[in-house]
Amino acid sequence: MALLEVKGLTTRVSGYTILDNLDFSVEENELRVLLGPNGAGKTTLIAMITGQFRPTAGKIHFAGQDITGWSPDAIFLAGISRKFQVPNMYETLSVYDNVMVSLQSDRKVFKYMFKGVTAAEDERIWEILDFVELAGKASDPADTLAHGERQWLEMGMLIASNPKLLLLDEPTTGMTPDGKQRTAALIQKIARNHTVLLVEHDMHLVRQIARKVTVLHQGQVLAEGALDEVVSNKTVREVYLGKGKRH
Amino acid sequence: MLLLGAAVVAVIGGFPVVAGTDSYILLLLGKFLCYAIFALSIDLIWGFTGILSLGQAVYFGIGAYFVALSLKINYALDHPTRYGNKFPDFMEWNGLKALPHFMEPLVSTPFAVACALIVPTALAFIFGVITFKRHIYGVYCAVITLAESLILQEFIIEYQAYTGGFNGITDYSNYLGIPFLWFMLAVTIAFFLIARVLTHSRIGTVLKSIRDNDLRAQFMGYNVANYRIFVFCVSAFMSAAAGAMYAAWVGIISYLDTGPVFSVEGVIWTAVGGRATLIGPFLGAFLVKGLEFLLSGVLAAFWQLLVGLLFIFVVLVMPDGIVGSIAHWLRRHRKGTLTQLREEQDLLAHDREHDWQPAGVPRSGEESV
Repeated sequence: MALLEVKGLTTRVSGYTILDNLDFSVEENELRVLLGPNGAGKTTLIAMITGQFRPTAGKIHFAGQDITGWSPDAIFLAGISRKFQVPNMYETLSVYDNVMVSLQSDRKVFKYMFKGVTAAEDERIWEILDFVELAGKASDPADTLAHGERQWLEMGMLIASNPKLLLLDEPTTGMTPDGKQRTAALIQKIARNHTVLLVEHDMHLVRQIARKVTVLHQGQVLAEGALDEVVSNKTVREVYLGKGKRH
Repeated sequence: MLLLGAAVVAVIGGFPVVAGTDSYILLLLGKFLCYAIFALSIDLIWGFTGILSLGQAVYFGIGAYFVALSLKINYALDHPTRYGNKFPDFMEWNGLKALPHFMEPLVSTPFAVACALIVPTALAFIFGVITFKRHIYGVYCAVITLAESLILQEFIIEYQAYTGGFNGITDYSNYLGIPFLWFMLAVTIAFFLIARVLTHSRIGTVLKSIRDNDLRAQFMGYNVANYRIFVFCVSAFMSAAAGAMYAAWVGIISYLDTGPVFSVEGVIWTAVGGRATLIGPFLGAFLVKGLEFLLSGVLAAFWQLLVGLLFIFVVLVMPDGIVGSIAHWLRRHRKGTLTQLREEQDLLAHDREHDWQPAGVPRSGEESV
């Protein structure tokens, strides 16, 4: 049984079909890359999985539960963490607090009333800050970080929540080549013991880290398999890599 | 900081003992304490959680009216009206023959105080469920709270047989005096401490993250609506307590104390003093209200205009308010040693890394998190 299973997912917005009867699944401990041209429905798919929007039809199963139509916070508690395309964090909080708020817990209001940070939690926070190489900036407000650092902080926040599945939506957008390299390394490090679904545009990066690739086109799965297979697929080349051009 | 706080408490608490109890300043001090709590309650939802309410006076007003009604009913029992009736005179003027049955329980002041605290909190809860659960916030929430406060004002004016209408409720025995001032001071300190614990504990960090980025908080598993409802209820409770004490202290309460103007004043005090700081609301309330009492004799016609200008000035020039700006200035002033601080921090982080590593075990962070 796959960890994430999407069956017949359809999304229509004012007459436009964005996802069209989409079937898709991710196995446990997989690093899956989601490719597709603009408008293929990658971000919409992520929005559906995380409960931001309700699908018009279809089911989403996660870890044996039907999570279709759940609220974003309930889906998160079920074990899906999402990284947004644009870095998305708590700007005025310190880097440390950003990770602290993201730690795994049941997030009930009254249990949080007078609770502080336990020694074990503090240790875990520093471990994560080391992992994303931000320990030296722990007390800086998040809005003083550089763009790349913000992306890494958000990934650290995701790891802190100890998710079963990480959804990373174009985490290298707007990064320098060096930043992309470091991010690629970080993603590979994360993927060692997490299931990751990565949306990525940068083919260079994809070549570096991809194991299995799914290509979306017009809201449907166009091709799926090892990167080389998919890239040599004729239809994929036509719709995604540009007709006849070698990449 | 602690010393400064103690000094302020000593000055407020000690002043009437030295200056005597018939001083006008005694009345002002008590009023200011209520205003300060009111501003603090606004700071909790606005400064710390990012909910702008323009109707917080609703909770202040309901708290105040319960207490004022109870005191008035009790006063009337001992001081019959001109026609010998033992019920509040404004009811008589409006043609009532006796105290309405539903108001009879208010003869008991403890019951009235309980109502003054519980009813506004319950209302805030209902309001929160209706709006926050449907993801209504921001400008829409501000407009709804504004409407709420207009509705209550309209209600009070319309049902003047029960509320005193335009004239409000007055002529009852109030608690103006040193013991009640000390009581109010104690309540103020208690609320300050509650706010401090709340904002410095984990829930406070969560509230600030909701203020900064509610979408991220929601996608991090926080039921944002529940947190908003919770803090809104705490805030309404504080407002209500401030209102209840205000009515008991001042001895007059009117529809103006529940209105949008008073609500916005509270927002201005908070902004001037410093949002998202705990001292800010106190400073703002004392400063703006103090200035008002000093200057409104001279500038009566222009005072509201001046407050408006002050608000615009604060928003444009120092959005963090007085306390926030001072904190920023202090931080900038220390900038010379900032690199030094950074180096120390790095060293500390380095030490920590080595301190915490059990001997002989490879560092786990590298391989797995």
